[in-house]
Amino acid sequence: MPTPPHGSRPGRRPGTRAPYPRRAAVRLAAAVAAAALLASSCAVPPDPTPPAQAAARGNDSGLDQPAGAVREGGATPAAASAPARSIPPVRPAAPAPSRSTPPVRPAAPPAVAPRDPGPRLLTVAGTTIRMRIVEVGVSPDGAMQIPDPFEEAGWYRFGPAPGAAAGAAVLAAHVDTTSESAPFSQLKTLPPGTLVTVERYGAPPVRFRVVRVELMAKDAFDGAAVFRRGGPHELKLVTCGGRWLDEQQNYGDNVIVTALPA
Amino acid sequence: MRTSLFTAGAVAIAAALTLAGPAQAAEPNAQLSVLHGVPELTVDVWVNGERTLDDFAPGTLAGPLALPAGDYELAITAADAADASAPVIGPVKVTLAASGNYTAVANLDAAGKPTANFFTNDVAQIGPGKGKLTVRHTAAAPAVDVLAGGSPVISGLANAKEKTLTLDPATVSAAVAAAGTTAPVIGPADVAVAEGTHTIVYAWGSLADKNLKLAVQNIEGLHSAPAGVPGGRSGAAAGSETAGDPAAMVGLGAAGLLLLAGGIVLTRRQLAPRRIR
Repeated sequence: MPTPPHGSRPGRRPGTRAPYPRRAAVRLAAAVAAAALLASSCAVPPDPTPPAQAAARGNDSGLDQPAGAVREGGATPAAASAPARSIPPVRPAAPAPSRSTPPVRPAAPPAVAPRDPGPRLLTVAGTTIRMRIVEVGVSPDGAMQIPDPFEEAGWYRFGPAPGAAAGAAVLAAHVDTTSESAPFSQLKTLPPGTLVTVERYGAPPVRFRVVRVELMAKDAFDGAAVFRRGGPHELKLVTCGGRWLDEQQNYGDNVIVTALPA
Repeated sequence: MRTSLFTAGAVAIAAALTLAGPAQAAEPNAQLSVLHGVPELTVDVWVNGERTLDDFAPGTLAGPLALPAGDYELAITAADAADASAPVIGPVKVTLAASGNYTAVANLDAAGKPTANFFTNDVAQIGPGKGKLTVRHTAAAPAVDVLAGGSPVISGLANAKEKTLTLDPATVSAAVAAAGTTAPVIGPADVAVAEGTHTIVYAWGSLADKNLKLAVQNIEGLHSAPAGVPGGRSGAAAGSETAGDPAAMVGLGAAGLLLLAGGIVLTRRQLAPRRIR
């Protein structure tokens, strides 16, 4: 994939690839060229299918799997029997007596589950980033919504909240205004170890330390990784970066800061 | 075009290596849930002659039970039956496909006779920021309309039929009315449609006996990620990057065009393997 190498080099800042200056230059050149070759857009995101497929890969069978994790494209809304299928000759004599009884629960409409406390203010040490956080969802084109005011960051409300037990909490904001750089333009130079604080509604602040800053080409946007719902908790600060592509009115990359709970 | 050929090559290599990832496990199991929708009848549920659910009460949902793909015989007996030889419903033969997700429902037909229905649940990924709602009519009642906030969203749904909607996440005030009317025979009741979740609502019970109810099954984890993060507006932030990063200067310089082409060739070999996860 013509992705810039920065993405796969944890801990290295885009602006300071000291050990391999020439290679870095060449790689950046490659990234720029690749970005120019492929039509991606900040304003018009790439086709939503690849992240969906990527996410679909990440499951498998197993007794403990949630039902929803099963990959199944058929989706036949018919109330009839499933289509016939060649059956393996060995049929279980029974649903394995050793298997414990399936869970049984009342099927009355369940109460709405309580949510984690929402984030309200983001501060990043050593920068001027001190931004109100608003909840955002998905635009009609399938991309994450970004707050219009440059001094606000959007929290992807369908994913984990900062301070959640698992998954990646995503905060995103514009990198520029119509005429100048916005606070998130400072993300690309954050050194590892930078303290990131997220104040929350009705809960103590949560603190994170930056572990890496990556550039991810927009044409190779890995949504399943950025918007991961499970696994260890982390915070992702996302904006645009790389080269401005005039014809597309768009940057070539996303700048993605990953921070772990401090 | 030379450069785009190389780019395409890198894509193909990366794609091939990704696909060649972890070896496929054995055929994935099917997931079977069982809903009891026959009022006032406690039963046992038998799968292939084995008692799987004991004293299964009306209005309860069991599962999902992970079962290897194959044919199964489901039977429902009185709660104290010694075996499955005298079922009150069934036996019915069902075929479970690998990775399939199913709900078997013991319910009343439109005339009020106990029967069984076997539904295939849609567990395809749902678009980012959306939820899915399916309504299944498993009650002793004529065709119905489903109202959300008082307006019909599903019309003329008959017994043993279902209808699916893709919606923005919200709590829906849902009611069921006889087809063509708006006077609720069930509800209104709050039904949560959550992002990435397929919520399946069953209308069950009997209109004549005035015990119609809703049952809800949720299949979670069907979310998909947004397609991108559009954080740029004008390019105003690009200038500072150029100034602050000598490497970027090289890449951006107009005279660097040759370098660009060469850069792709040089980095491709280093890049492609490292992209594999």
